[in-house]
Amino acid sequence: MNRPTGSVTVLLFASAREAVGRGELAWPIPPGGLTAAALVAAIGAKFPRLRPTLATCRFVRNGGYLDDLETRLRPGDEFAVHPPYGGG
Amino acid sequence: MSVRLTDEPLRVDAAMRELEGPGLGGVTLFAGRVRPDRGPGGRVVALLYEAHEPLATRALRAIETEARRRFRTDRVVLWHRVGRLRVGEVAVIVGAACSHRAAAFDAARFLIERLKVAVPIWKTERARPVRRPRPRPGPSAGRSRGSGRARRPAAGRSRAG
Repeated sequence: MNRPTGSVTVLLFASAREAVGRGELAWPIPPGGLTAAALVAAIGAKFPRLRPTLATCRFVRNGGYLDDLETRLRPGDEFAVHPPYGGG
Repeated sequence: MSVRLTDEPLRVDAAMRELEGPGLGGVTLFAGRVRPDRGPGGRVVALLYEAHEPLATRALRAIETEARRRFRTDRVVLWHRVGRLRVGEVAVIVGAACSHRAAAFDAARFLIERLKVAVPIWKTERARPVRRPRPRPGPSAGRSRGSGRARRPAAGRSRAG
């Protein structure tokens, strides 16, 4: 049986949150594991309105910016989607 | 505190007090307020500011540290508000106190420009649709169609600061 092996928490801000309709998702990790790139592709497939935003985003794993999207995510990780910043 | 991320109103006089110090003859303060711009959704009535904490505070502190080193001052203010802000409310205050004006101006510009690109803070517009008045019927009504008088609201984004 292909049961998930835990999940990551996806945090969505601003335009990303508005495209999805909520600010947090619990995303299951499939048995073969999950890279950041695979997660981004999967949430883009599930929420087509999010796709244009994703192309402009930075990604943060457990408080640190991700340079390598081939990073494998672990159960309990926090994965944040950051659209371009707009303070001020 | 010289770095602040808060849902409380920001006060320019409090920021000014934060920048007091002996020999600091040049003080520059910048305050950014919510403007009533027109966007695709209508006239902006408020902006919703949000931040990813604790990353945002960490980024503000890094900018503060860099500004102190680069402009040789101990007096820096880097304050940002979060939550729903109505038109006219202050969203951000940055400031620096230095011995002379040139460094104070440079430091304040550095603070706001870095804040805009390096701190995970976002704003989302809350707009009210703008009703366009119907053209009055009259002798020239037929000819005026398409004359460009009843223009669509200009597309744009609201900015504070």
